[in-house]
Amino acid sequence: MDARESSSLADVLADARVWKLKDASAAPARPVWSTGKSALDARLPGGGWPTASLIEVLLDDTGLGEVQLFLPALVDCQRRMGQGGSAGDVSWLVWIAPPHEPYAPALAQQGIDLTRLLVVRPASATEALWAAEQALSSGICAAVLLWLKGTDDRWLRRLKLAAEAGGALGVLFRPERHRFESSPASLRVLMTQGEHEVRLDLLKVQGGRPGPVDLGGS
Amino acid sequence: MTQTADLFAAATPASPAVHRSAPQALKAGGVPPTPQIAGGGRVSQLWYAAVFPELIDAAHSAAVLQRLCLHAQTFTSLVSIEPPNALLLEIKGSLKLFGPLERLHADIDACWRRLALQVNSAAAPSTLAALWLARGGAHTGNPAGSRPVVIDDLGTLSGRLARLPIACTAWDTERLRTLNAMGVTRMGELLRLPRAGLARRLGAATVRDLDIALGRQFAPRRTFVPRARFRARCDFEEEIENVAYMEKALEPLIACCAQFLRERQAGVQALRLRLKHRAGTTTCMHAGLADITGERRRLTDVLTQKLGRLELRAPVKGMELISGSLQPLSAASLDVFAGLTGTGGRDTAPQLVERLRARLGEDAVYGVASIPEHRPEAAWRRVHELSMATASRMGEKMTGSRVDDGMPRPVWLLDVPLPLAHDWVLGQGPERIESGWWDGRGVARDYYVARRVCGTRRSQGPKLWVFQERRSKRWYVHGVFA
Repeated sequence: MDARESSSLADVLADARVWKLKDASAAPARPVWSTGKSALDARLPGGGWPTASLIEVLLDDTGLGEVQLFLPALVDCQRRMGQGGSAGDVSWLVWIAPPHEPYAPALAQQGIDLTRLLVVRPASATEALWAAEQALSSGICAAVLLWLKGTDDRWLRRLKLAAEAGGALGVLFRPERHRFESSPASLRVLMTQGEHEVRLDLLKVQGGRPGPVDLGGS
Repeated sequence: MTQTADLFAAATPASPAVHRSAPQALKAGGVPPTPQIAGGGRVSQLWYAAVFPELIDAAHSAAVLQRLCLHAQTFTSLVSIEPPNALLLEIKGSLKLFGPLERLHADIDACWRRLALQVNSAAAPSTLAALWLARGGAHTGNPAGSRPVVIDDLGTLSGRLARLPIACTAWDTERLRTLNAMGVTRMGELLRLPRAGLARRLGAATVRDLDIALGRQFAPRRTFVPRARFRARCDFEEEIENVAYMEKALEPLIACCAQFLRERQAGVQALRLRLKHRAGTTTCMHAGLADITGERRRLTDVLTQKLGRLELRAPVKGMELISGSLQPLSAASLDVFAGLTGTGGRDTAPQLVERLRARLGEDAVYGVASIPEHRPEAAWRRVHELSMATASRMGEKMTGSRVDDGMPRPVWLLDVPLPLAHDWVLGQGPERIESGWWDGRGVARDYYVARRVCGTRRSQGPKLWVFQERRSKRWYVHGVFA
C-alpha cells in the first residue's frame, strides 16, 4: 500500500506540469559556484551562484563591492575549468562595457587568469547586448559581466536563453530604478549603501526565498 | 683545353686511393658516380644564369630577385634564387616551346632589358658553370648586352671555364687568397691541379664545386614558389542595393576561397572585399581574422558581419574577394572531425573574438595584462593580440612576487585621477609610491583606501583609492574598489 502511494507520488512529481517549490537546501540539477560568503551561500538554492543563468544586480553607484561579490566564484571556476582541459577551453571571462578600466594588477592579485579575460567596449547599449548574447551563447565563457544603464524585458529574455544555451553565468549590472520592472533573471540582487556597510537584498530567487541578507560583516 | 679536363678526370675511379669507403672518399675529394653525362656530349640539363651587378644591398636585392623570379617564370617553371644577386633558370625543358637556344637566351635577356636592368647572362649545362660564366662576363668587363656566352655541350664547357678568372667562383676571400698565393689566377690553372692536394688545401667543398661546374655531379636547386593568394570576382546582372542579396552572392565566392585554401592546406588571416559601383568607384572592405583559418563558416561569419555594418554609398555592380597572403595551417586547426563530433556548433575563443571585432571594431575587444611597474597607471596595458599568453604570463609572474606586499589595488582604475570633491574618511594607508623620475612622468604620491562620506548622518559611501600628491598636497581619486 505504502509502496503504491509513493510510486504514485513519484509519478505526480515526474509530471512536467507540476511545479515544485524547492527548499533552499535542495540540490539543483545545475552546478553552483560558491560565493565565498557563507551567509549568502545559505540563502541561495544549492548554496551558490547558479550557473547557466542570468543574475541581475541592481545598484546606483559603483564602489559597493559589486565585482568583489563575484570575484571569488570567478577565480574558483577559472581554476577548476582550466585544470579540466579535456572539455575544451571554457574558462573565458568577458566583461562588457565596464564603467572604468579593469585594473589588471588588482585582478591578478585576486587570482584571475588574465589570459582568459576579454574586455569589450561597445559603442551603444544595443551593441553591448548583442555582444553579451554572442559571448553567453558561444559556449567558451565561464561568465559574462555586463554593465548597462537600462534595457527592456525582451533583450533580457534573449540573454537568459543565451546563458542557458551556452552554459555560462550572465551577470547584469543595472541602476536601482529598474527594481520594479519585471525581469526574467533567475536571481535579482539589490545592493545599497547602508549607514556603515553594504546592504544586500534578494529581490527574486528562483527556488529560494527573497529577503535581505545579513552578511555579518564578512 | 680538353686536356685539362682529361687531367682532372684522370683522378677519377681508376685511382685506387679513392676506393676506400664512400664518406672517406668524399672527404678525400673523390668523385661520386657521374650522373648526367649522356653519350656524345649531349646534356640533360641546361641552365641559364643571370647576374645583376647593380643589386648590391642584400636586403633590397632579395625582394627584387623575388619579383624578377615572377618574370622569369614566363620562360620556365624551374627558377631559383642564387644569393646575393643572381637567378638560375633551367631552360632545357623550354627549348621546344621557345627555342632554339639562341633565341630563348635573347628573349630572356630582352625581358631584363625591358625592366631597365643591367645584366650579365650565360647558359651552360651545369648550374655553377652558368653562374661562373655569367660572372666572368662581368669580370672581364663585358659590357651588358654584348654577345653572351652560350654553351650547350659538355665537350666545350671545360675549355670555356678554363679561361675564367678564379674570382668568378665567388668563393670566400680566404680561399681566393690561398689560390693567389699558389699562383693560380685562372680556372684552367686550377683545373690542372691534382684533386687530392686541392681537397686537402682548400677543402672538399672546392673540389665539389668544380665537379658541379663540370657537370659530374648534380647540385639540386630549390625552385622559387610564388606567393599565392585567392582572387575571385562576380559581376551582377543588375545593380544591387540590398546587403542581403550581396550576402547571397558572396556565398559561392567564399566557398571557392575555402576550397582554394583547403587544396593548399593553408589559411588566411585577412580578407578583402571590393565592391564596384557604376561610376567606376569601389568600396574596399577589410576583414581581419583572429587567427589563421581556412574554414568556410568563419570566413562567412566575418564577412557577413562586416557587410551588415556597411553603409552603401551607391548600388553595387560587382564584387571581388581577395585573400590575404596564404599561411600554412597549424596542425590544431586541421581538425577533420570537427563537424562530426558535435563540437561543430561550439565556438572557439578566436571565433568569438573575431565576430565581436567584426561588428564592434578592432579596438573594442581587448585583453589586459599587468606590467611590473610601481606607477599604478603604467602597471597595466591593453593586449590586442589574442595570443596573450606569453605577454601576460611574464607579467603575472612578476605581479606574483608583488602580491605578497599585500597592498590593496582597486578593481577599477580611473583613466585620469580626479580631484577629490567629497568628504572622505581615510582607511588603510599610506602606501608611498615614488617612481618614474627618469622618464619625465615621475610621481610622488601617498595612497590610501578611503570611504566617501555623504549626507548629514555621515553615512559611509563607496570605497575609493585616493592619493595625496606629495608636492602640491592635493588629493585625488584614482580607483574604485568595486
